[in-house]
Amino acid sequence: MAPIQSLARTAPGAARGPRRRRFVRALPYLAPAALLYAYFLAYPMIDAVRLSFFEWSGFRTESPAFVGLENYVRILTKDPVFWTALTNSVIWVVLSLVVPMMISLLLALALNRRMIGRNLFRSVFYMPAVFASITVASIWRWIYNPTLGLLNETLRTVGLEDWAQQWLGNPDIALYSIFAASVWQGVGFGMILFLAGLQQVPPEQVDAARVDGAGGWQVFRHVSMPALKPTTVVVIILTMINSLKVFDLVVGMTGGGPAQSTQVLALWTYTQSFSNHNFGQGSAVATVLLVISLFLVVPYLMWSMRSDKE
Amino acid sequence: MVTRRIKVKAVGVIAALGILTACGTSPDGVPEGKGTTQLVVWMPASDSEAQEAAVDTMVNGFEKANPDVTVTVEERQTDPHKQALRQIVGTDSGPDIYWYWEGLGLGGELVDVGLSQDLTEYYDEYGWADRFTNPALAGVTQYGGYHGVPFGQQAMALYYNKDLFAQAGISAEPTTYDELIAANDKLVAAGITPIEFGGTVNWHIMRLLDSLLETECGAETNTALATGKASWAEEPCVDAAYTELATWGEKYLNDGYFGMSNSDSSQLFFSGDAAMAFEGTWFDAEVTDSGLDPENVGIFAFPTGSDRLSAFGEALYINAASEKKDVAAKFLDFVTSDDIQAETVGSSGAISVNKNVEPGTENPLNQLWSPIFGGASGVYGPSDQNLPLDLTTEYWRVQNSVLTGDIAPDKAGDAMQEFVDNQ
Repeated sequence: MAPIQSLARTAPGAARGPRRRRFVRALPYLAPAALLYAYFLAYPMIDAVRLSFFEWSGFRTESPAFVGLENYVRILTKDPVFWTALTNSVIWVVLSLVVPMMISLLLALALNRRMIGRNLFRSVFYMPAVFASITVASIWRWIYNPTLGLLNETLRTVGLEDWAQQWLGNPDIALYSIFAASVWQGVGFGMILFLAGLQQVPPEQVDAARVDGAGGWQVFRHVSMPALKPTTVVVIILTMINSLKVFDLVVGMTGGGPAQSTQVLALWTYTQSFSNHNFGQGSAVATVLLVISLFLVVPYLMWSMRSDKE
Repeated sequence: MVTRRIKVKAVGVIAALGILTACGTSPDGVPEGKGTTQLVVWMPASDSEAQEAAVDTMVNGFEKANPDVTVTVEERQTDPHKQALRQIVGTDSGPDIYWYWEGLGLGGELVDVGLSQDLTEYYDEYGWADRFTNPALAGVTQYGGYHGVPFGQQAMALYYNKDLFAQAGISAEPTTYDELIAANDKLVAAGITPIEFGGTVNWHIMRLLDSLLETECGAETNTALATGKASWAEEPCVDAAYTELATWGEKYLNDGYFGMSNSDSSQLFFSGDAAMAFEGTWFDAEVTDSGLDPENVGIFAFPTGSDRLSAFGEALYINAASEKKDVAAKFLDFVTSDDIQAETVGSSGAISVNKNVEPGTENPLNQLWSPIFGGASGVYGPSDQNLPLDLTTEYWRVQNSVLTGDIAPDKAGDAMQEFVDNQ
């Protein structure tokens, strides 16, 4: 009897039965969310891709006309702004993966130790993350105001008037000025995630490493870093997704200007669709953005999941 | 009495409007104790108390004269107002009447897609063709038929600070472009910023480029460029206009103009930190509200040499999908009548579209516009109203790229024409 029981326990067909029953039981609970997801997320996404093969003004009284790949040809070869927007989006992603992540990690490490005012500092650094992006944009627009703004006024007060700039008016630095506001807003959220990850580091491992003579860097490199890997994966993926779809800070601070120098893909999608009423080209830009997002996020996610299994 | 005014915060809540407007209403959607016919009017929100009061006067007066009608005004900010109107095209969820700019790029777009009702029969019924000034009528007849009734006639010109002009040794208003440049140079020599602009809103500096094109190209060629009948790449005057624009950006505009909005840069004029502002008739009220002595402010048309005035019109249109067109027309007749226009003139512009109504007297700046309008032989509209939407976006990109130095002035016309050819 024993071998037969063992076979029954391991045969694929036999295992499928309970799994199927569990799936059927779960279905009523999954269905509402799945339907909402399909209608509000999957369908618009697929429809945007479909629309990218049509020329359409967005007015219900006008029918979309099928144009094949023409919208893609236009944005890739004739659109004077698309490549600027793509380049800026790539710059934004790369900077986001370096600057705010590093600051978040350093803040988390600094505030993960017992010290006076630790909770106050955590709250202060996290606070900008709760502001709406458009509020952050308003705050920083005033900070950057070329004549009355805090930054230029401070530079003039301390004798560094030569450093005063048109922070949002100079096309060479405007994107980076917006990015600074994004860092100010974003590091708090990353810090909280890293702090949560650091709570998972077993104190006994840290103590054991210290007993073995490991210094601060070695403890971080060989104990904390490996324990932070799941958190780092989450932060990297969230950072890539959020930086690819950056929109509101740019709208609120420069509107994509001056001379489209701070244009990014998400905003150019919106501008083409809702300002220029080229819904076909707008959808083509959105599709490019979708493909880039999947291209960046999916391989990293798969690699990370495979590493976890191993 | 307070007008039922709904300030809509975002386009996405259009659906919620049905709920909002249903609050405190009877089952048929009409506020309890009010008229049985509800008229919905969409307008852009205004920060001006005078404009809000003028709308209240119009609505309350109409309701008093027509007790069976209730008028609800729904207001949005400028861009959400445009988007909301574009979204309701082809649906029955729009207003009965909507406020919009004239011109092929804005009002004409909605005429093309069938949102606007041709009002020829109402012009005949009410005799409106005899009511409005010729420039005002030209704005509503440009698409063929009569689309909308004129509601605002705005012109743009150079406001200047008389004290700052005197400090720089400028004794008379410039009447030619060369005199204007000479005045700019005198202001610079006196350490005064000649003129303020806010670059984050592209349409502000656009006014300057529009006027430079009118100056360098003349009325005929400038119109041909706007209507696609002349090549931006082949008219030498286009290069000259962009060259002048680059010079203005380099020498005459306020520091940091690209990082400022229009309202931020206006503060420089109000505070006496800039000698001129390129603004429109609505600016009269803002000047007096700012505390600046209106007696110390003068206005002169940008001296293009073409005798045309930088101007545009605004109209009230009837939605072709409205089931209450007759009541809507009655409302339009009321708000543009001699009495109501005389009562509200000056609230949103210096002059009335009604030719029987004299300019308002409460703001001394309003009076300065009469000779400016009288001296104009025609108008040239702002490019964002004349050009198609995507070409407007490109016009702004090229204009700003010339100012940042990313496009050489003599290559700007080529860039514009390349975009036109690629359409």
